[in-house]
Parts: sequence; C-alpha cells; structure tokens
Amino acid sequence: MSVASSENIVVRSLSQIGDCGLFLLRMLAAIPRSMRHYRETIRQLWFVGAMSLIIIMVCGLFVGMVLGLQLYDVLSIFGGTSATGTVVAIAIYRELGPVVTALLFAGRAGTSVTAEIGLMRATDQIAAMEMMAVDPIAYVAVPRFLAGVIAMPLLTCVFCALGIFGGHLVGVTWLGIDNGTFWSNMTATVEVVKDVVNGVIWKSVVFGIVVSLIAVFQGYTTPPTSEGVAYATTRTVVASSIAILALDFVLTAFLM
Amino acid sequence: MSQRQSYAVGTGLFIVLGFAALGYLATQTTSVANSSRGPSYTVEAHFANIGQLKERAPVKVAGVRIGQVQSIVLDPGKETADVKLAIDKRYDQIPDDSIATIFTSGLLGDQYVGVRYGTSKKTLADGGELALTRPAQQLEEMLGKFFGAGGVADNLGGSYVVKARFTNVGALSVGAPVKMAGVAIGSVQSINADPVKLDALVTLAIDKRYNQIPDDSAAAVFTSGLIGTQYVAIQPGGSPDALKNGDEMVLTQSAMQIEDLIGKFLVSGSSSGKPADGGKTDGGKH
Amino acid sequence: MTDSISAKPEDSALVRVRGLTTVLNGKKVFDALDIDIPRGKITAIMGPSGTGKTTLLKHITGQMRGDAGEVWVDGHNVAELSRDKLFELRERIGYLFQNSALLTDFDVFENVAFPLRQHTELPEVLIRNIVLTKLQAVGLRGAAGLMPTELSGGMARRVALARAIVFDPMLILYDEPFVGLDPIALNQVLKLIRTLNQTLGITSVLVAHELEAIKQVADHIYLIANGKVVAQGDPKTIANDGSPWTRQFFGGEADGPVPFQYPAGDLGVSLGFPGKNA
Repeated sequence: MSVASSENIVVRSLSQIGDCGLFLLRMLAAIPRSMRHYRETIRQLWFVGAMSLIIIMVCGLFVGMVLGLQLYDVLSIFGGTSATGTVVAIAIYRELGPVVTALLFAGRAGTSVTAEIGLMRATDQIAAMEMMAVDPIAYVAVPRFLAGVIAMPLLTCVFCALGIFGGHLVGVTWLGIDNGTFWSNMTATVEVVKDVVNGVIWKSVVFGIVVSLIAVFQGYTTPPTSEGVAYATTRTVVASSIAILALDFVLTAFLM
Repeated sequence: MSQRQSYAVGTGLFIVLGFAALGYLATQTTSVANSSRGPSYTVEAHFANIGQLKERAPVKVAGVRIGQVQSIVLDPGKETADVKLAIDKRYDQIPDDSIATIFTSGLLGDQYVGVRYGTSKKTLADGGELALTRPAQQLEEMLGKFFGAGGVADNLGGSYVVKARFTNVGALSVGAPVKMAGVAIGSVQSINADPVKLDALVTLAIDKRYNQIPDDSAAAVFTSGLIGTQYVAIQPGGSPDALKNGDEMVLTQSAMQIEDLIGKFLVSGSSSGKPADGGKTDGGKH
Repeated sequence: MTDSISAKPEDSALVRVRGLTTVLNGKKVFDALDIDIPRGKITAIMGPSGTGKTTLLKHITGQMRGDAGEVWVDGHNVAELSRDKLFELRERIGYLFQNSALLTDFDVFENVAFPLRQHTELPEVLIRNIVLTKLQAVGLRGAAGLMPTELSGGMARRVALARAIVFDPMLILYDEPFVGLDPIALNQVLKLIRTLNQTLGITSVLVAHELEAIKQVADHIYLIANGKVVAQGDPKTIANDGSPWTRQFFGGEADGPVPFQYPAGDLGVSLGFPGKNA
C-alpha cells in the first residue's frame, strides 16, 4: 500500500515536472506573440518587481546586519574582524543574496501570481480571453513569466546592495571596524566574474526562470475552484523553495 | 491611460534602481574598484610555482599597487609558469634586476606579486623580463594564532597630517588605523609609491587631540593578527618638540612580510630572531 | 461583414451540429447529437443539469473537440480550423459567461475596450466612442469608471454583454444568462437579448433553465437529455408534445425519465438485509 502510494507520488511528481517543461515550451513559443502585449509585461513588472522592493530591501538590510554581527563575533576569535566586509560580501553575493531573494520572491510575488491566475481561471477570465480571441498564454502567462525573470536579478542586486550596507552599518558604524579596512579588504577579494556575475546574476536569472515558471504553471493548471487555488499557492511555495535550494547546489557546483 | 503611464514610470524607476544596484556591486565592492584603467606596459616573469595566484591579482612595490597580473600560462616545454604583468605607465622606473615574489595578503587573502627593486641603473621597458623571481610559499600549513585585534579610530575634532616613508608598507591600506600605545589616534590618508626614491610615501591623518607627539617618534607598520590588517604604530620619542601638520617622520620601520617572519621562526627555531625586526617597543601590548 | 467570409451564405443554419459524440471522464456527454441553429433567430437549449449544455457551447467555439461528428459554424468545420482561423472565427462570436468573467484588473470601460485594444490599433477617441455606445446600449454608460468588484451580478452581466457585442458579432452564445438575477435584472437582461436580436439581427443561442423567461424570447427550443435531443419546437408547442421528458421538465416533476434517485443498488442490500433479495 505504502509502496504503491509512494510510487504514485514519484509518478505524479515526474508528470508534473514534465507538464511544467511542456508549459515552458508553450510559453517560449508564445513569446513572439506576447510582444504586442508588452504593456502588460511592464504592468506585471510593476506588480511582481517594484511591489516586492520593500520586503526585499528590508530583508536585505537585516540579513547584512546579522551577518556583520555574527561574522564580527566569530572573526574576532582569530583577530580577523577586518575580514568582516569581505565575508559579508562573499556570503551575500554567492549565496544569501540570490537564495533569500528567490525565496522571498516566491512567497511574495510567486504566490500572488499563482492565486491571480488561478482565480482568473476559476472566474472564467481565461476562457473569456480565449473567446475574445486573445491567447491567454501570450497575454496572461508570458507577461508574468517574463516579468519574474526580469525582476529577480534586479531585486537580487538591490538585496545585495542593501546587505552590504547593513553589514557596513553594523561592522563599521556600530562595532567600529575601520571604514577603509572594511572596503579595501572587500574590494581586494571580491571579484566581478566569480562573485557578482556567477553568484548574483546567473543564479538569480535561473531562480527567476524557475520560480516564475512554477508560479505561472501552478496557477494555470490548478483546478478552477477556491480549494484548487489554495492548494496551488501552497504548492508554488513548496515547489519553488525545493527547486531554489536544489538548483542552488547544482549551480554552485557548476559555477565554482 | 494615465494609469498605464504611472505603471510604466514606476516600472522604469524599478529597473533603473536594479541596474544602479548592480553597477554599485560590480564597480564599488569588487576588485574592479582597484583595477587601474590607465595606460600600462607589460613585463614578463617566470615562476617555479605560482601557488594560488590568479589573473588580475595586484602587483605591488613596497606594498603599493602598481599594476596587475595580465595572464598566466605554462611555459611551453618547461615546468615553470609564464606570468605577464601589466604595470601602470607612471611606474616606469623599475630597475631591470628587481626581484618578483609571490606573496599572500593575510592568511585568507589572495596572492599578489611583490616586486623588490634592484640596484641596476637600467629600467624595465615594455616586453621586458623580471629575471629574478621567488615562487609562492605554501603558508597556510605553517600558521597558528597570532596577535590580538585592533581598536577603534574616531575622527572627532579634526586632524592634522604627518608624512612617513616606508621601504615596504605590506598590506597597509588607506583608512587603516594609526595607533599609539595600542590606542587609535588617526588613520592612513594616502599611500603612494615614490617613483624617484622608490619607497612608499604614507600620509597619516592624526586626531588634533593628540598634538603632543614628539617629532623624533618612530612609525612602524604592524599587523593586528595574522589574518588581520596592518596598521601604523607610533612609538613616541623623547624630543621636546611636537609633530606639526605636514611634518615628516624620520624614523620608520617597514612592514614585515609574514613569509619573512615565518621563515625566521623556522630557521632560528626561537623567538630571538624577532627583536631584530620587532623594534624597541612591544607591538603585542594590546 | 459575414458575407465575405461565409462559405455558404444561403445556408439558413448558422451553426450545424451533426452526429456529435463526446466522452468526458468515461461518461458519454453527447451521443450522436444533431442540432441546427438558424440565422437571425434566438434558439434556446434546455435540459437537466449536467447534460452538457455548456459543453455544447464550448464545441461551437472550438474550445473543445468532439470524439466523433462535426460542428459547422458559418460554413467552417470548427475542428479543422487552424488556430489563427479559429481566433478569426471567435472574433465574430460573442460569448456571455455564466459568471460574466470580467477581467478583475480593469475597470468597466477597459473591460469593454479590451477586445478592441487587443485586435485593433484604433485611435483612443474611436475606442472611447465605441465603448461608450456599447455601454449605453446596456444602460451602464454611467458605470464606466467602476471596477468589476463594485458591480452587482446583473450589472456585471450587462457589462459582459457590452464586451461580447463590441465587435458586432454574428452570433452570441449566452451561457446561463439568468442565473442568480433578481426579477428586475432578469428582465433587463431579457430585454437586451431581445433587442440585440431584433435590432442587429444577431443570431443568439441561449442556454438556460428559466422556462418562463425563455418562453418570452426564444424562437426555437431544444431539450437535451442523455446526450440526445429529446424534444424540440417553438415555445408554445414543445411543452405539449406528449413525451415524458417534456412533461417532467416543463411540468417540473421531481421524478420521471430523470430519476429522483441517483442510480444505486437495492436499498435493502445497502442497509444490510440480504435475505430479502435472495
């Protein structure tokens, strides 16, 4: 019984991943058609990107501050507090920036995209678009997907910048690490390609694609009921979180 | 339509903010901030072992950055690395018998190429070769704990400027603290290589409150901890006259490379080698 | 407009369903269904709940395809149309959804303007004129600035109707247009259906249960049950054709060909008295 049901879960997960991939292909095929709805993409960029700024900035600041605090504490054991800025920057660029931003994005924007599309289905808005000869993939799915893919790297950059600021705030302003030391050590060690491009940019682009795909897919394929929408938003968070952390490992292994 | 336009404006602002953040990350917090963009000339050096040296690692003279590593390739048919160094044009007076060494900046730091000037009258030209090299040493295995941590520098009440010349500033950086008796009294304002005297000219900004420092005091570059940064320690002299704004400190003691230090430990097998360079005051008082 | 595209303008039936068979989730929804929707008339499709009336509308618009049989709309076999041709056809079909399906992101004006913005590059002034004219036709020009959440059910349905007719379609499909409306709103919608049909000559298909309302507007009624047409005719005669279906449906009897009991085994067996049947 349990074997059968666990097999069931595996089969269902695999078929979900397969459906998700096919859905991605459908969206990619619809991108040229959705170019005429570029205004909708801009509007979605506002909703998923600009509206997530506050939470991203606040969280970035606090992550940077707590990193500064913890690292100062640990590094002072070795008399290496001057490396605080370096370690804050590297930790944020390589891991915390892209990962935490993606998790926050999944919770803030991903769920709202899923719920919105699910409700559009439940209230026949998607069907109505089909009836008005408007391709809902091109009009509903692709703009939200593209907006997520564009917004994620930008949000990650903002998160990282605020994280550095938070680390500086705690390390230099509060704990008294020398300002010049903080920056010069950071600039001596942090590299553009390895840390900013491979860490911040590549990871966040991949996370943007995955989180947006999951959010749009879950919303688009959920049963059009209030129950279905509730489950779909939960699944968006769960699936996104797992995908982000698993892909983070894979990407780190490849990009290092 | 105004609703649509406000979305477009807000979204535009968001995108600009995102790219501004990216630009900030890429240029202000990374090695790009250090890399010189001025004209440079290329010099070659062959090392038996480059350790962890990477492309774009800094090239330093007396601890001051004068260029960066341009490329690292294996010499064809030999077991040595061919390292090309891009040196800033303004530092064009490097003697052609100078020694290139691969150092590590701090324990966790990246490696860099340190150049120690020779005595030759001829200077290196574009495409020249630094014939004398010393390979990277594998430091990490030898090290344990070191001195304590640094203190706080605050700049209330303004400061005055004093100059000091060092033959080697090590990893001293702009903004590093200046300490007397372990207490921060100012910070390093600028570090420049003197193209003529071939040493490092360091400007120290010292808090106005400490205006009674004797003018025969000595300045030394110390390291606060093994991983830690270097700072300038001032050891007071006995002169009745105090240092004034713009004065130059005559007695200086340069930074010790950790490699040198450890080499001494290993060779002498006792701490008796330390005072030879450690100077008259106890640097580990704090 | 329709003449240039129409393949068989002389054909009196705008929609022709022939031998349509559809199986959904193992259940046969349509079993060789034949239906003709005449041009310029209001045709009502009635039947017990779950007989696939909405599914039939989806076949007409090409949202679903049957397992066998054909659906012809204005001379095109819907199942054989390419995606672009299908979209072209849909631009000439208005569809009124059961729950109005207004786009919640936009206000009433933008909802009605939506198809125009998507399919045309008309100047803003012209869009404004068309939209306000359509809203005036449904009596809601004053509500142009409201959001869909601020509308009552009847108003939302009228806005949806304005949106459905914004391209002056040849065919409007009404999916349960009267559900959940108070008598006033119901009569308003009823009046609109009749007006649109009479003044613009729009062919209308009405899926509904409300017999009294349908009697007022429909020219022809199809009664569907068990995947087949069980009765048809004009509103006056259909109720008296004597079949048990019409008697139960129009007479509103609880039991009949549509059983009160959902199919189940013997009650005695279910309650645990095996002896009785043995």
